Amino acid sequence: MAYEIKREGKEVFGDFKPELIPDECGGDIDDYEEALHVLMKFVGSMSSALEQVSGRGANAIVYQAGKRMGHEAGKMVEKTDDLEKAMQELSEILGAEFYFDMWKPAGQEGYTIEKGDETVVKLIFRDCVVRQTLRRTGLPQKGPLCYLLYGYTVGAVEEVMDIRGKLDIDHVGPNACLKTLTIKWSGK
Amino acid sequence: MVEIEIDENACVGCGSCVDDCPNDVYEMDEAKNKTKVVNADDCMACLSCHEICPAEAMEHKNIHVAKRLYIDRKVNDVLNKII
Repeated sequence: MAYEIKREGKEVFGDFKPELIPDECGGDIDDYEEALHVLMKFVGSMSSALEQVSGRGANAIVYQAGKRMGHEAGKMVEKTDDLEKAMQELSEILGAEFYFDMWKPAGQEGYTIEKGDETVVKLIFRDCVVRQTLRRTGLPQKGPLCYLLYGYTVGAVEEVMDIRGKLDIDHVGPNACLKTLTIKWSGK
Repeated sequence: MVEIEIDENACVGCGSCVDDCPNDVYEMDEAKNKTKVVNADDCMACLSCHEICPAEAMEHKNIHVAKRLYIDRKVNDVLNKII
């Protein structure tokens, strides 16, 4: 008799035709959790290896990947010139896994600061899958993987507002990260 | 509104939180050689101070606690059995 690999779980059997779209993903929450952790390890490992091979170039590669994703996601929502509306739409694009708010020091009047043809707004990212992944794999924050969210946010804002933008990482922490979004109106 | 409590008995007065906080929430109380909260309104609850404090002397109340999806429940279960 041929050797069979022993597994703990039960194998699922069912009928399937290629033309049928399954009406549910299947699996229970533990399966998703396990898959998420495996993905976190893979992505963390890829980021680390990328940095090892490409050095500082890794940030640019990951940024570009994020930016492309952001532009694609930004196409799904309505275009606007209104920064507050854009932030609302950005929160829908980024979803619950990138829960962010606009942030200002207590002494500052509004969230936005006008600097010539630029508008600056500080964003605080409270929930972030990238941070989760980095902590899962024991990698430092502010590395290449953080540039994925950087690119994603910039790409989405550029697409929604049809302008040029940049995002600077001000501070990273285990519970929240502060970033500065700069919108360049002349880049329209 | 964020509330920050410092356990003065635990604080070793290293000043790491003062150096690390990006919003100058803390200052050193030179008389006591302990950290004191001077600007809680500017705290964004990044919790860098928690991570850097060697004495785990601080507690933040009424903050958004970020999801911690990275915690491996299987590993935690094993640890809980040992500890």
